[in-house]
Amino acid sequence: MTQLTLALAKGRTAKDTLKVLKKANITFPDFHKESRKLVFYSEDHSIKMIYVKAVDVTTYVEQGAADIGIVGRDNILEANADIYELLDLKLGICRFVVASLKALSLVKGSSVKVAAKYTHVAKKHFEKKGIHAETIKLNGSVELAPIIDMADCILDIVETGSTIKENGLTIIDEVEPISTRLIANKASFATKTAAVQNFVEQIKDVLE
Amino acid sequence: MYLYHNTENDLVINVEQIHFRQQVIQAFKERFSTYGYHEIYTPAFEAYDLYAHLNGTVNQEEMIKTIDNTGKVLVLRPDITIPITKLISNSNQQLREDLRYFYIQNVFRQPQEQTDYREKTQAGVEYFGNTSPEADAEIITLAIHLMRDMKVDQFKIELGHAAFFDQIVNEMNLAKDDLEALQQAIQAKNITEIEDILAKITVEDDIKEILTSLPFLYGEPKQVIERASALPLTEALQATLQNIRNIYDVLVSYGVSEHIVVDLSLINHMDYYSDMIFQGFIDKVGKPILMGGRYNTLANEFKANIPAIGFAFDMDLVLEGVSPNALPTAEILDAVILFDKATEKDALTLANQLRMKSFRVVTYKSETQKEQIPSATYEIQFTEEEITITQDDDIMTYNDIDSVLAALKERR
Repeated sequence: MTQLTLALAKGRTAKDTLKVLKKANITFPDFHKESRKLVFYSEDHSIKMIYVKAVDVTTYVEQGAADIGIVGRDNILEANADIYELLDLKLGICRFVVASLKALSLVKGSSVKVAAKYTHVAKKHFEKKGIHAETIKLNGSVELAPIIDMADCILDIVETGSTIKENGLTIIDEVEPISTRLIANKASFATKTAAVQNFVEQIKDVLE
Repeated sequence: MYLYHNTENDLVINVEQIHFRQQVIQAFKERFSTYGYHEIYTPAFEAYDLYAHLNGTVNQEEMIKTIDNTGKVLVLRPDITIPITKLISNSNQQLREDLRYFYIQNVFRQPQEQTDYREKTQAGVEYFGNTSPEADAEIITLAIHLMRDMKVDQFKIELGHAAFFDQIVNEMNLAKDDLEALQQAIQAKNITEIEDILAKITVEDDIKEILTSLPFLYGEPKQVIERASALPLTEALQATLQNIRNIYDVLVSYGVSEHIVVDLSLINHMDYYSDMIFQGFIDKVGKPILMGGRYNTLANEFKANIPAIGFAFDMDLVLEGVSPNALPTAEILDAVILFDKATEKDALTLANQLRMKSFRVVTYKSETQKEQIPSATYEIQFTEEEITITQDDDIMTYNDIDSVLAALKERR
């Protein structure tokens, strides 16, 4: 039997993802959240799961250290990795938006200072619109940047938009919807086709 | 990778790795010759202009540039196919006889990702002239043969066609942004994204059906071709599919079909590819170790009409994936000869005679400290009375060097 290595993102959606896997009869008996272990095996050992930071999932998969991965589309877009994105698990649904304190005239040729955790996504978004963007990388509390006048606007993930509203910001642009995705390494897809496709089908069946 | 300074600035030389690398390269060269290919070299410096006017080939930002005395801009060879094609185009408008060339050379790029090496060894072939499916299949078979030589059993060649995607989008009138987004989504087999993009643009139902099927047109060649032919294909697309079918049929005759998957969503990574394209994957290496395809129109850039097909292996990735056990190991020496002043002449004569027979031999005075002497298969000890050969626990005794020579030749 071909064993697949699955990189699973820690954080927000891990619990829901594991529920989906359980529905598909893929369980990890050793797994519990407080464990310091990083590697877990499914009951039949067909899946070796590595439990890693969400931002690292695409790296493990692109390098081929993991055959498949489950991670938010926010991280996939930011990593700009050369991988397959095979399935939408429709979990952790949220979206990328641009928000600011006051209205901005974002027309072609203008320039803007944008604070974001996802600087690559921000750059690409404004580039597409023909706007020159200077990005400022922040790792948290991105909403603060316009308030203290460090940036004109922010690009960030929102689920309901309440954090943004509470800080007096308004959404001025919808960028992209986000949800949890199943990704695969291209070489693994070629050399372990049946195993990867079976895994995808197994998950797909319980989603519907 | 093989000779470098570590963080403490000590010189680190990995002799075994260098030896292994040489063996792999030698095996590649021999295999290339058995398919009628001749080795060629291209210069390390190329004119920047050669690449600058060819869009969609080598990323200009990735080229390593330099300026010569006259102010001319040069680049360190970023690719090998383009200079070879130029050279052949300059001396022939058309070819009468097919040409088959191979190269093992380094290419230089300054990649955006920092983990990549700037200097990469490529082993590749270029086959000029023949446009038949037999030529396409032959070149894929050669790639497979190389992997078999390397005792790699888990490997797959993904076979696609550059024209397939182009012919589909030619039917649509897509804005550049949408085309790029669509291309990216198809390359990622991201069906959600493909559907999102198609929902935003006006597109005929037939084309929509083909595009949303693309991510699934992957796998066992016969099945994929069958599923694809059930789609509402244009005549051009049908001809493209027929071309893949023809190539696959020849691959079946070569007996290599188990390594082939057809991937109709494969898209050009180099704009010069015009027809069949392919890439190769092996177990435990996360990136394609091999890329290639047919480039029938590249010579047109140099005012000639010479169809061609080629591929290149990334040798650094090959070395990552090939087990050193696949080839004869980096070998300890064949023999250590130990002697003293009285037996010096005989000992050194034996050493030379063994070397003439391609044995790898070192010689030392008997009093030399043991730790200083490299290990070898045979230890040959000269004393005034006799010559003893020790191999592991086996000890044999001889009276003269001729019988030693005979014994060693026998054992080999």
